[in-house]
Amino acid sequence: MFLRFLLLQIKTATRSPMWQKNLALNLVIGFFLLLFAVYLLMLGLLINQIMNELLPRQDHFRLFNSILIYYFLADLLIRFLIQSLPMLTIESFLHLPVRKGTIIRYMIGRTLFDIFNLLPLFILVPVTFTIVIPHEGGLHAFLWIGTLILLILSNNFLVIYLKRLLGSKPVVVGALGLVLISLVVLDRTNLISLSGISSKIFGYFTHHLLSTFLPVGWMIFTYRLQYKFLSKHLFPDEMQKKKVEEIHDQAESRFLKSMGLTGSIISLEFKLYFRNKRTKTILYMAPVFLLYGMYFYPQNQNQYQDVILLIVGIFMTGGMMLNYANYAFGYESSYFDGLLTKNIDFNQYIFVKFYIAVLISTLCFILTIPYVFYGFKILLINAAMYLYNIGVLSFVLLYFATFNKKRIDLSRGGAFNYQGFGAMNWLALIPAFILPLLVYLPFRISGHPYMGIAFTGLLGISGLFFSRFFIQLITKSFYRRKYIMAASFREK
Amino acid sequence: MIEIRNLTKIYGKQTVLNIPELKIGKGESFGLVGNNGAGKTTMFRCVLDLIRPNTGIVLSKNNNVATTETWKHYTGSYLDDGFLIDFLTPEEYFRFIADIYRLSSGDLEAFYHEFDDFFNNEILGKRKLIRNLSSGNRQKIGIAAALMPKPEILVLDEPFNNLDPSTQIRLKSILKSWQKEKEITMLISSHDLNHITEVCNRIVILHEGIMVQDLVTNPNTLKVLEEYFAVKG
Repeated sequence: MFLRFLLLQIKTATRSPMWQKNLALNLVIGFFLLLFAVYLLMLGLLINQIMNELLPRQDHFRLFNSILIYYFLADLLIRFLIQSLPMLTIESFLHLPVRKGTIIRYMIGRTLFDIFNLLPLFILVPVTFTIVIPHEGGLHAFLWIGTLILLILSNNFLVIYLKRLLGSKPVVVGALGLVLISLVVLDRTNLISLSGISSKIFGYFTHHLLSTFLPVGWMIFTYRLQYKFLSKHLFPDEMQKKKVEEIHDQAESRFLKSMGLTGSIISLEFKLYFRNKRTKTILYMAPVFLLYGMYFYPQNQNQYQDVILLIVGIFMTGGMMLNYANYAFGYESSYFDGLLTKNIDFNQYIFVKFYIAVLISTLCFILTIPYVFYGFKILLINAAMYLYNIGVLSFVLLYFATFNKKRIDLSRGGAFNYQGFGAMNWLALIPAFILPLLVYLPFRISGHPYMGIAFTGLLGISGLFFSRFFIQLITKSFYRRKYIMAASFREK
Repeated sequence: MIEIRNLTKIYGKQTVLNIPELKIGKGESFGLVGNNGAGKTTMFRCVLDLIRPNTGIVLSKNNNVATTETWKHYTGSYLDDGFLIDFLTPEEYFRFIADIYRLSSGDLEAFYHEFDDFFNNEILGKRKLIRNLSSGNRQKIGIAAALMPKPEILVLDEPFNNLDPSTQIRLKSILKSWQKEKEITMLISSHDLNHITEVCNRIVILHEGIMVQDLVTNPNTLKVLEEYFAVKG
């Protein structure tokens, strides 16, 4: 039965349209994972030498043990944030004569092969050989690694249980993070020596064979916890806590209403963004774009500083717009057929999308104004890049959006979600990002950087004058491509 | 009203639709029956310009649907869930459709009143998003939205699916009364031979993309259909 479940799982993965369409992308992700594993392995093998260099004449074993408690706490938090719950589509088995225990054991068993359980081994196993065995000898090294593996597994079981119990509520995540941070603070201020406790605990487990029953017991306890919980809640409706959103009748804003169809399309787009998981994740990510400056601006001036500032400017004022415009039609894949059959003037429709793109970029620009603190030049650059974004990049993005024909499921989260991610699409965007640099650099090389900035901004303003023409081009492309888009949007 | 000329759609090597000629007159209620894969939805998608046929054209009031858009003013349609915007509440969706067709709030009120029975208190005022409604209720919303702008042509793909018995009966009576009073032209497909013979005055059997029979409904039609499909089955 286990084998059959496993085969089914493999089929689910390899036959999903995501896998087949994005084989190249999967290969790239796989390659990076492998690379990461190799790095960890090398780190594990070399950590002894590194410690010799950096911290000579210290007890490496104790040192390593002292950070373990942080590792396990951080592991717990990260798992809570990222690790996905095992979901064998149990609905299709519950009515068949398969014992519940088998299903549950398989579901739990599968989680053992999670990347969070496997990656640490790449570093822990080499460390066992390079540090622990020379230091403690074979038997104790075995106890050490055994304890760690047991604790990793316990974390695995515990998180899955907690996550099902609590749901991924931001409050819970925040509270866990707060506990972790306050522990670090306490440790730093020497109120409690957490690292001291850590090295004592793990040292104790290593040296006392009998004490191993503690991690073993803890592992069994967390396993039973999860098993019990699952067997009590093995009903499809309880496994996926589907919350039914209650929508209160919102008074549509008078302003939007007065704009007629334009207004109702804008309000539709707003609802799209605020009521779907994927788009909501992107909204949460918005501050990340705006904080780029925090990272780049305080850095020391170097000769390429202004080029970096330009790129930072494009991303800060255009990053959110990029996300919006690139999927301008992809996000509508679930009701694209409906739109096509309705009496909609698509030229006007695409104009509205352009307005929204401008609105998003404008908001981002306004939010970056405080960076003027780092110099007036930064404000100038950001203003020029903003103008370029709304006057040139917006049209380029909307044009290429008509080539983005991958169906997007809005109900799936946006982080680590590459659905609708077309490599060709992004390749085509590179010139759009390089163009402002190409405009700017000749001026800079000839010693007139401010002229260059002004000229890039002017380019954007002149683009705005031709908006009618550009939108017509996009509309034409839309009509040419609509059958292809509709057909692939229909493919689930 | 609708004229199909030399229409074919080919996927790979398989011809899924091949209709040399078909004319549907004003006020005609045209029923389409056929087993799965017969090409019913493909034909409707061609009529609604949602797929590009390999050859041939569809004319609506003598205008090619692929090159003009005036037909969208007077054509209401519901094929599947892909016509619904599922993150809206039913009211928001209806308001959006009303905005597109430039209907006033008075028109919208009249529409709610007219479909009060059909909705059976399961659609309006529930504060739920369309995606959280049952498939039957979603179907109701789609059909009602197709009828809202009072179209001259109505295209429905398997409208009776998922509907509960009362709603099926209500839908039939709505369709029949619109036929009589508004002379609406209807294109309806269904797997339910009883319903289709009751609602449609012309029935075409589609098999592997080809029109194999074109019947004018009479008291004998149901029997003819049942015999045809009994042999096929």
